[in-house]
Amino acid sequence: MAKQQRHLYEGMYILSATLSDDARQKALEKITTGITGRSGEIHKIFDQGRRKLAYEINGRREGHYYLLYFSVPTKQMADVCKEYFLNEDLIRFLTLRTEKVPEKIEFKSLEQE
Amino acid sequence: MSTTFSRRPPAPEGVFVKKRKSCPFTAAGIKHIDYKDINTLTQFITERGKIIPRRITGVSAYYQRHLSKAIKKARHMALLPFVSED
Repeated sequence: MAKQQRHLYEGMYILSATLSDDARQKALEKITTGITGRSGEIHKIFDQGRRKLAYEINGRREGHYYLLYFSVPTKQMADVCKEYFLNEDLIRFLTLRTEKVPEKIEFKSLEQE
Repeated sequence: MSTTFSRRPPAPEGVFVKKRKSCPFTAAGIKHIDYKDINTLTQFITERGKIIPRRITGVSAYYQRHLSKAIKKARHMALLPFVSED
């Protein structure tokens, strides 16, 4: 059998800020088990904290941001994303292909003028 | 008596000379524009939240394409507004 093709992904998730700490951890676990349960592997989790949303989403003005780096077989990826639509605590998500896992999230500033 | 002429005479005073803009991303050596980098992205949107055209900012066509995609991703994740009312 041919070897399963795997790719590294970066996922950003906004969880509801109205959840308690325990409930939020559970919601995050639900996301991570969705990945690991499909023979995926979590490389890094960045907790970006509570943040004001730029616009209101379903009556929510704030959200808790998480950034996950994970690898999953490409064939399983569609199922992983499909599950997110059923998760009510998850306000919004974005998964992208990426090349490497960064040590920390920081950016070079533009020196204008 | 010999007079020397420069090939391009200097512009007379009071005449506006267009200065060529350079791409800020090329100048800073940024290879990849990240949608999470809000501080950089906000420099290229108006107060209303619209993307500023590259004829004003001087961004190269290559980076403007990447920049607009990054801004749209950031808008989806509610990091940047689609329309800012204030």
